[in-house]
Amino acid sequence: MKIERGLRLVFLSGAIALPVVPAGAHHSFAMFDNTRSITLHGNVTAFQWTNPHAYLELDADQGGGATKHYTLELTSPNMMSRLGWSSRTAKPGDMVTVIVAPLKDGQPGGLLLVLTLPSGKKMLPGVPNAERYKITS
Amino acid sequence: MSKALLIGALLVGTAVAAAPKAAHPDFSGTWERYPPPGEKADPRYAPTPIPDPPLKAQYRADREKQQKLLAERIEEGQPAGDNYVHCIPDGMPAMMMGMFPMEVFQRAGQINITQEAFSQTRRIYMNQKLPKWDEVDPSFYGASVGHWEGQTLVIETTGIKANVRFRWTPHSEAMKIIERIHLLAPDILQDQITVEDDYLEKPWTYSYSFRRMKDYKLQEYVCEDNREYVDEAGKVHLKIDK
Repeated sequence: MKIERGLRLVFLSGAIALPVVPAGAHHSFAMFDNTRSITLHGNVTAFQWTNPHAYLELDADQGGGATKHYTLELTSPNMMSRLGWSSRTAKPGDMVTVIVAPLKDGQPGGLLLVLTLPSGKKMLPGVPNAERYKITS
Repeated sequence: MSKALLIGALLVGTAVAAAPKAAHPDFSGTWERYPPPGEKADPRYAPTPIPDPPLKAQYRADREKQQKLLAERIEEGQPAGDNYVHCIPDGMPAMMMGMFPMEVFQRAGQINITQEAFSQTRRIYMNQKLPKWDEVDPSFYGASVGHWEGQTLVIETTGIKANVRFRWTPHSEAMKIIERIHLLAPDILQDQITVEDDYLEKPWTYSYSFRRMKDYKLQEYVCEDNREYVDEAGKVHLKIDK
């Protein structure tokens, strides 16, 4: 679909699929740095169960009682529910640990790669070609 | 007595003659794209790789330029915005690639196919004449009619909007999509797709395979909150909650 903005945008129909296409082709996932990861621990302030992406909002510990807010993108709830997630997997107040591929633009956010729940259980959100995301933290 | 026997014989004869022909296959159910990620396909049931569209020279150059731009953008981590960023669904034929599970509801006169991703539903009207492309208003899913050829469901579709594209392939509104759908095995469905269009040098053919899912209920998909947005330069960003 041609969007009439200043610059003509390429229509990527058919190439942006979860998870059956090359990772590089996904519209949003290229926003994230797949060469390194960061690990955050903190309090969930929101777990948004929406399409096209679920989001986890986190107040991450920075040490000394300080926190920094992060917005973490997950995949589609449709996909996640087939991987054992539900809208109640995380909820405000949960203390969790996350491994994240950070945003390239430096904003406090990223692609969630692994979520460790208060119980210690690890959850994967079904990132397409997840093995291409280097875990360095 | 002989009259009764004769009538009896006739009735039996009629009953035998009226025995129903083999019923058309019923494709009703939910289907996932085969093979699913991480699973190696049985070569008997594997989908075909999708070749580049055999576009005529005047359209090929433009597409190649777009592909090059796309590759450059991906390299720098900034792909150009796409329909999904704007919560716009696939349309036909892209919805048949089976991103998420697919549900088939089959009746003698109509078959509905719903793709879970973006809740896309197409309706195929059986044994009706395909309208001419300019007799219908162009749409995402087009006008589809179907008929049976033995055990194969043959669907013809036309009237797809020019800006609803599969793999960035430009097409005219007169584009026609022909699908031949049949079972390769009791739980494996194949959709052989052929795209015919003036923009193509020859028909563009590829196939998808699907595997029957047991007890899967299709979920809804409402593209409700896309926090990704495209800026003036065509770069995608994430809206951060401060």
